[in-house]
Amino acid sequence: MNTIIKTQVVTALWAAGLLAMVAPGAQAQTGPVKIGVVTPLSGTYAPIGAQVKMGLDLALQEINQAGGIMGRKVELIYEDEEANPQVAVQKAEKLFQQAKVDFLTGTVNSGSTLAVGQVAERNDKLIATTVSFSDAITGDKCSPNVFRVNAKAGQQSVALAEWLAKEKPGASLFLLGPDYEMGRSTVAAFKDAAVQRGVKASGELFAPLDSKDYSSYFGQIRAARPQVFYTSTAGNDTVRLFSQLVEYGMNKNMTMIGVSGAITAQNIKAIGKNAEGFVTGVGYTPEIDNPQNKRFVADFVKANKISPDLYGADSYGVLYFYKAAVEKAKSTETAKVRKAMEGLVWSTPQGDKTMRAADHQAIQDMYAVKIVNGDFTIVSKVPGEKALGPSTCKRW
Amino acid sequence: MSAWLDSLQFVYAPQIVNGLSIGVAVILMALGLTIIFGLLDVINMAHGEFYALGAYLGTSLLLTGLSFWLVLFLVPLIMLPIGYATERLLIQRVFHHKERHILTLLLTFGMAIVLEDVFKLVYGPNPLRPDSPIEGATELLGMMFPTYRVFLMGVGVVIVAAVWWVVYRTRLGAMVRAAAFDRNMAASLGVPVLRVYAGTFAFGVALAGLAGVLLAPVYSVFPTMGKDFILMAFSVVIVGGLGSIKGAIIAGLLLTQVQALSSLYISPVWSDPLVFGIMVLVLMFRPQGLFGRLGHG
Repeated sequence: MNTIIKTQVVTALWAAGLLAMVAPGAQAQTGPVKIGVVTPLSGTYAPIGAQVKMGLDLALQEINQAGGIMGRKVELIYEDEEANPQVAVQKAEKLFQQAKVDFLTGTVNSGSTLAVGQVAERNDKLIATTVSFSDAITGDKCSPNVFRVNAKAGQQSVALAEWLAKEKPGASLFLLGPDYEMGRSTVAAFKDAAVQRGVKASGELFAPLDSKDYSSYFGQIRAARPQVFYTSTAGNDTVRLFSQLVEYGMNKNMTMIGVSGAITAQNIKAIGKNAEGFVTGVGYTPEIDNPQNKRFVADFVKANKISPDLYGADSYGVLYFYKAAVEKAKSTETAKVRKAMEGLVWSTPQGDKTMRAADHQAIQDMYAVKIVNGDFTIVSKVPGEKALGPSTCKRW
Repeated sequence: MSAWLDSLQFVYAPQIVNGLSIGVAVILMALGLTIIFGLLDVINMAHGEFYALGAYLGTSLLLTGLSFWLVLFLVPLIMLPIGYATERLLIQRVFHHKERHILTLLLTFGMAIVLEDVFKLVYGPNPLRPDSPIEGATELLGMMFPTYRVFLMGVGVVIVAAVWWVVYRTRLGAMVRAAAFDRNMAASLGVPVLRVYAGTFAFGVALAGLAGVLLAPVYSVFPTMGKDFILMAFSVVIVGGLGSIKGAIIAGLLLTQVQALSSLYISPVWSDPLVFGIMVLVLMFRPQGLFGRLGHG
């Protein structure tokens, strides 16, 4: 009974924005800053989760060595989401309710990010994704509690479509994506961007996440005879897709392009020489020439014996995003931190990024990169404002 | 005309050949299932997990440095005693109950759940992928085709032919068929019926294990792999007629071709519902399937 009354009082004060005055609120402002990480440590997206963890752990170490956030140490609490939205929701609920984390990040699967965003709204906490591509997250399904520090499908598509229209004007294009939120969204976004620039779409297909055999999809691709093949598979799915495309001799007359997550530092070794010539639109490559990135890449390689990819870089950046916001708000309270995050300019390996207040989407320069001798080489660049269209979020 | 020939060569032919390679894999699974049902009158719900067990055993043995060809031979040999023991120690306990169908179904279903979790505990949830023993692609009728899948088709045909020969042309097969037809009569004529039962179950399980090793380099090895194939194998067995070897082969080829050719026009994701739809139609209009049971007719 007592607790119920207490909860009601707290809720009432919370609504009035007076939480800082009551004991539980004040207590939460001391001790370590707890950040929950719900990320796939197993399953087909485990390689992505591994980069997320490497990026976060590196930033954590740096921030704690430099005195933490507002003098408080930072603590990361990991949970495995198995790239499954249902699991992600349970783990996020657990972190908010039991571990009482101040902030949550790490979700990879776009479905997980959307679902965990709703959990965050119910718990009045903030989350940020560093990986999810689906445009809906900061578009028609935007949430006041969800931020995205990485580039979404739309931004990546613009960079890649610009390159494609210039290199192969009027080419025919076949698209393949994993059959869920991210796959559908990336394929639709790229098709739009490419068709607007004069490319002909000759077909599209969606395969379930974690498909073991893509050969049954090759019939329609053969029938369409495309000059360019776009994929938005990721992780181990791309490894299987590419090895099967090569085994069936399908890659011979096709230019292979795709979403930035299709081939990354984590799976490029497994794909091997089949990855050569692949082009993607991306918000990060270790090649970006600025002092922050050079230092980041050197430290990352030293700690992990592997190059950072876009996930590693953006996950590294998200801790600095949260740090900058909390220090600007001088508080870890949700409402104050949210206000601080909106319009925040913070420093990342990609240079300064701006968090757009209208839809909680980060603005950043975009690149088209090509795999040459196993390395991502920048072939063209699109400035941040041009790559990101106007906000489509209508919730606030 | 040349456009038509061209699309026949580059669109239809690869699809048909690919369908064949999947068909052979499905038939290997369906054979064990249908033989066990035909003789023991038991629907083995754990068949998919025995397939996974074979794949995991094979992967473990490969990690010790043994050659693929030796492993291909060893795994069915290891699976035989496992299958024999499963039949004698577990299935025989409920076999003579009057609710035999329900009890054996539940028993094998329970085994499937336990095995799947054991795989997850021992090997972890991430898929393992043994290297393909035969790399590269072969040119077949002017199109590229993975050499390992060509090999798979060849081996599959040999195995199916061998099973056919054992069941229909050997003394052992005659004993199995006799026990399936009338076990009391067979027993009174001196056929060791219980051992034939356990032996047949072990044979079916060994076939599943062999399929597991053969398919591991193509489909990877993961705890839920049994479920992927078992639905297709069940459809094949039901359409072909529960217990019929001929039915399993013909239905296996037929259904995988339906899958392969339909996926040229609809998303391959929808070719599964199409196959299950055919299964439902067969159950409605010809519940005994296309062909009769082993030892009957």
